[in-house]
Amino acid sequence: MSCERVERDLGAYVDRELDVEGSMAIRDHLGTCAACRRQAAEHEALGRLVRAAPYYSAPDRLRARVSAQTRRSTMRRILTWAAAAVLVLSAGGGIAVWRSASTGNAIADEVVNSHVRSLMANHLFDVQSTDQHTVKPWFLGKLDFSPPVADLASIGFPLVGGRLDYVGGRPVAALVYRRQNHAINVFVAPVRGDTAVRASARSVRGFHVHYWTRDGMAFWAVSDLNDAELTTFVRALGGGS
Amino acid sequence: MPLRVFEETVLPHLDAAFNYARWLTRNDAEAEDVVQDACVRAMRFFSSLRGDDARAWLFTIVRNAWYSRISRRSTAAEPAPLGAQDQLSDDALDPEERLLQQQTVALVRTALEQLPVDFREVIVLREIEGLSYKEIAAVVDVPIGTVMSRLARGRERLMAALEPVRELEALR
Repeated sequence: MSCERVERDLGAYVDRELDVEGSMAIRDHLGTCAACRRQAAEHEALGRLVRAAPYYSAPDRLRARVSAQTRRSTMRRILTWAAAAVLVLSAGGGIAVWRSASTGNAIADEVVNSHVRSLMANHLFDVQSTDQHTVKPWFLGKLDFSPPVADLASIGFPLVGGRLDYVGGRPVAALVYRRQNHAINVFVAPVRGDTAVRASARSVRGFHVHYWTRDGMAFWAVSDLNDAELTTFVRALGGGS
Repeated sequence: MPLRVFEETVLPHLDAAFNYARWLTRNDAEAEDVVQDACVRAMRFFSSLRGDDARAWLFTIVRNAWYSRISRRSTAAEPAPLGAQDQLSDDALDPEERLLQQQTVALVRTALEQLPVDFREVIVLREIEGLSYKEIAAVVDVPIGTVMSRLARGRERLMAALEPVRELEALR
């Protein structure tokens, strides 16, 4: 192993991030090369120095603030749920995401606009990855819900990324899939209140829009893909009627 | 969401969350605000924690909370770090040794605080919090290769900044 290779991997070696083979090769080299040995010692000494840096423990004041706050917001949540339940009951279950044909059309219009905008602005994703385990955590801390992310590459709809978007004035997760040259945007947000309409499909300005709900989440899939294939896609995600 | 489960899972990592936030912001008051904000978010997203490491999960949220704070601010510049506030001391050392150690700690802190935040945070997560490259990549939201190159460049800069201390340490 050359000194250059060793120098390149020395950090990972000291951090114990090399595989067994790699780290044995470095250990062997260090046994014979004094210059590299000195470098490794310097690396380790630097680690010790940095670990002497102050560790800032959370002040008691912060601990108390956080405790009080989590208790308060739990209480608020319970009250909000209770209030929502009362409201739903009194309205006869009339609060729906897609309550009537007219709101349905308005939202369909909006998701189509978002879809078109994402294509025109060439802003399909904020996180580009075919790995659902990368896309899902990306939303962590950006949304107050965790969208289900499925990879459908096995049936010809690879996941290509995700981004934040807005539908109906609230932030939603947008998941982007591909079918040949067609992009499919799937917008996901928690269902608000009761849903009268559980699934629907329509066409808006040449785009197909499918809407469905599942496990408390509302989904809108939008694409210019032919409707037969889009329906297959929607079914694979657990939607469709 | 049961409050008790949240408290048992998240609150044990409050020190780690604060330490990370403190190194990100270099300021006590600001770090407190970031952590408080992060805990509120953590509570809302608690259902997204599934058998993962709660500490790394909390770091991700702390970082996002910090990031949205600095993005909200009109000035992109980081606030200046406050001056020295606390010194570590070790009573077992004689006064001269202790002074030397205090100086070392102060120098290390200054050197680390002056690193650009991209380098600073990976070094803190690696050296002080002991996260793996993979965990750091998830927290910082960059590929592992980027974590490695930031670590290498950060260490290079630290080595240069700490040259005098390293010579001193070598003599001891």
